[in-house]
Amino acid sequence: MEAHSSPPKFGTFLLRKIYGQELFDEISGDLDELYQDRIATEGKFLAGFNYLIDAALSIRNYDLKYKNKVTQNNSTAMLKNYIKITLRTLSKNKVYSGLNIMGLALGIAACLFILQYVSYERSYDKFHENHENLYRILYKVHQNGELNIDCAAAVPRVGPFMKENMKEVVDYARAYPQSGVITYNNINFREDRIHVVDPSFLKIFTFPLVTGDVNSCLTEPNTVVISETAARKYFGEDDPIGKMISLDGEHSLGVTGVAKDVPNNSHIKFDFLISFETLNNRTRDENGNVPSETSWGWYDYNSYVLLESGANIEEYDKRFSELLVEERREDREQYNMKDEFPLQPITDIHLYSNLLQESEPEEQGDGDAVFFLTIIAFFILLIAWINYVNLSTARSIERAKEVGVRKTMGAYKKQLVYQFLAESFILNFIALILGLLIVVLGIQYFNQLTGSVLSLSFLLNGTFWLVVGAIYLVGSLFSGIYPAFILSSYKPTDVLKGKLSTNRAGNQLRRVLVIFQFASSVTLIAGTMVVYQQLDHMSSIDLGFDMTETLVIKGPQVFGADSLYQSTMQAFKNEIIKNPEIEFLTSATTVPGTEIFWTRGIRRATGGDDSRKTSYIAAVDYDYFPAYDIDIIAGRNFGRTFTTDTGSVILNKAGIKMLGFSSPEEAVDNRIYYGDRMKTIVGVVEDYNQMSVKSEVAPIMFQLVQNFTQFFTLKLKMGAYQEAFDKAETEYARFFPGNPFDYFFLDDHFNRQYNNERTFSKVFTLFAGFAIIVACLGLFGLSSFSALQRTKEIGIRKAIGANISSIIFLLSREFLLLVLIGNLIAWPVSYLVMNTWLDNFATRIDIGIPVYLLSGFAVILIAAITVGYKTLITAKTNPVRALRYE
Amino acid sequence: MKGTYLGEFEELILLTVAALGSEAYAVSVKEEAGNIASRKINISAVHSALYRLEDKGFLSSDFGGATQKRGGKSKRYFKVTNAGIETLKTAKEMKEQLWKNIPQLSFTRLFA
Repeated sequence: MEAHSSPPKFGTFLLRKIYGQELFDEISGDLDELYQDRIATEGKFLAGFNYLIDAALSIRNYDLKYKNKVTQNNSTAMLKNYIKITLRTLSKNKVYSGLNIMGLALGIAACLFILQYVSYERSYDKFHENHENLYRILYKVHQNGELNIDCAAAVPRVGPFMKENMKEVVDYARAYPQSGVITYNNINFREDRIHVVDPSFLKIFTFPLVTGDVNSCLTEPNTVVISETAARKYFGEDDPIGKMISLDGEHSLGVTGVAKDVPNNSHIKFDFLISFETLNNRTRDENGNVPSETSWGWYDYNSYVLLESGANIEEYDKRFSELLVEERREDREQYNMKDEFPLQPITDIHLYSNLLQESEPEEQGDGDAVFFLTIIAFFILLIAWINYVNLSTARSIERAKEVGVRKTMGAYKKQLVYQFLAESFILNFIALILGLLIVVLGIQYFNQLTGSVLSLSFLLNGTFWLVVGAIYLVGSLFSGIYPAFILSSYKPTDVLKGKLSTNRAGNQLRRVLVIFQFASSVTLIAGTMVVYQQLDHMSSIDLGFDMTETLVIKGPQVFGADSLYQSTMQAFKNEIIKNPEIEFLTSATTVPGTEIFWTRGIRRATGGDDSRKTSYIAAVDYDYFPAYDIDIIAGRNFGRTFTTDTGSVILNKAGIKMLGFSSPEEAVDNRIYYGDRMKTIVGVVEDYNQMSVKSEVAPIMFQLVQNFTQFFTLKLKMGAYQEAFDKAETEYARFFPGNPFDYFFLDDHFNRQYNNERTFSKVFTLFAGFAIIVACLGLFGLSSFSALQRTKEIGIRKAIGANISSIIFLLSREFLLLVLIGNLIAWPVSYLVMNTWLDNFATRIDIGIPVYLLSGFAVILIAAITVGYKTLITAKTNPVRALRYE
Repeated sequence: MKGTYLGEFEELILLTVAALGSEAYAVSVKEEAGNIASRKINISAVHSALYRLEDKGFLSSDFGGATQKRGGKSKRYFKVTNAGIETLKTAKEMKEQLWKNIPQLSFTRLFA
């Protein structure tokens, strides 16, 4: 028999590497055979050499082992096993698994909802391509060291002035807001979203045109660009380009472009953009002055600048205010004031700006609220993860035997960690799917509740999935890693002997986590209650005027002949007041709840020009104060019997104070200068809330103007709406043809100022609810588990004679104590947080102890019910059954 | 038609396996094919082709015949499957067809 000599080891090694265990035998057999043949023909050395060559060339077949069907990886087999065991454990303890998954799913859903809401709020004005370099010019006026005007709209001159003098400015654009009746072929609508804009408006902002040329559409006077919605409303299917529409029946405007509708998340919204030249033509006086270009005092112009990228705003503001020193010296000295024009990034407008004359004041968001919500989202998720940690460590004893067996069979600790992490990933995955399902199904309801406009389009958003992925990954790791290490660290000998008792450190941690959960829940509940109380306080506060049963009709803006204005107006009023259902009819330039845009400097006749201060101005008729039931605290109302009342004014208390009178009585019969006209104060009215109670009452001066109106106020007798309404509508149409009948009820109009707070409180409530449900799911799981563990103990106690109530007490004592500690922690935290929030309001409540007692009591009650339910069942079990347990 | 395509080397190996009958395993195939085609063939190329052909379903295999020479490791014997026979036939017919189509003229030119 030939001696069998073995081929070079290195070749064999290569082959083993290349072909893997499965193929190695047969193929190395082939090479062996060749080697042996070659020894016979070529000699040992060449044979070895060729063997090595063959082995090296075999590298081309490196992928054969993967193709081979018999290949099986041991780790995939284990992975399969982990999944199987996970699913078995899940179905073995349906209640716990359900609680765990449900809690996680709710937490994830809540978090996703909030993140959607928050990301929408934060998306405002980010759709502009230039959003990073776009700024709004603010207008701030200091008088006597006091900030007197803090306004979002600036003066017409500042935009061009900046462009001429500041090198960073690429371009500027102004938008002068208007409202009026737009008419086309007998279609009349009152439009509130009209802006007079510079041609550059469409260039620096990203408001794309559907038709029309962006370079030329707004350069000519009497041209207008309309939105797609407006185009459909007035022209239907027809092409709007070249058509003429009229504004307030007098200004004809040719349509030169159609713009895409303004996205919801824009701080400025328009349906009509009128060219700035149109306005210039209207304001040009006989000397050729154009105040809408040159005025430094007419602050109604939303002004924006586009800067070069990388401009330093702080330095810019400083340089510009130095520049103004010379430019504005004359006016500043004359009126003893200092005007400034700081820049504000447009992306800050929605959330971080609450100034006078915001473009969409009702829509202004609240950066603090958004910040709070983000934190709440995080906490809810944290509570859900904590549930997972708590439940899985509590149940670790059940899994201890499995760990022991696995370890005995040779499992490494690392493998066990992987196993329990894998479980966490699987559970989190199921929860994630459920959570997404809740979001998809619930978004409609969420929108309804919060008045937001979220759509499911986020499902196509890459960032959204990135966030979801991050939540999943972080959540699985966070909630899985602690239980994984606890479970995998059991010593097999202890476990299998049954020596293992509840882990002390684990218990301690569980307690801390439960305290944390309930502290968070109580904070949220107390917060919700404070928000509600504040809302309640704001709506129940005495506003100083009566807004019930009050119908407001917007005054006519389209008028054939100006000469007939006065008489028609009077005739209409006479006709309406005949109606017995109408108690008062008054016309004025304003109604409560409407921001006044008319301001003017006033001063006492005895003071110098530099004592001039800015006041709001309103024009009202004789019946304004009685109709609104506004108290006159000194002097008298305007009276029909006083023929000189056109030279009289009435101020509110804030106005009197601003002028430096020590009391209302002292102010009466004093003279003041209004512009350069002398007026006499005949009365002082109570500081009623012109705007919401969120802001301080501002000085207002009322003058008597009989038949100039923006609003008719009809004070109705109780319960006679329909008739009075019909009558008003028919008469309005008869007297003011071509004017749409636009009306609102004053209470609705006034209360819309609280929309933001309402939404905030609803969102807050919803998620506080989420948090408490999730926390209770966890508590329920923990308490029922601990009851289960003590089944034998309870059985013995009962057998000896303990009664049910003492057993319930025994079982719930610990949990209730934890909840109580949670309360104690939550109270100061929520007090601090809510106090900060309340500081935003001019009139605010003080947080009382009842809030805490109530929220604490509510949480303890819920916790007691949760814990009590399971313990009661355990306590009532027949002790015989309990003693047989295990 | 991916999968049924037969490369020149694959066809040679497949034919060799068919010719060897029940005695076809990597080493014998390498030797036979090398003799017939009178070229040097590396064993790794044969392995590659054999397993690929098996993957395509033209060959089937079985274990057997461990010898001392092989260090006690068994051989993998290959057999041509029906699909393999079909593919070989198709390849052959295709070539015959092409031969028939070559015009007489070219022959004269070629062999003149």
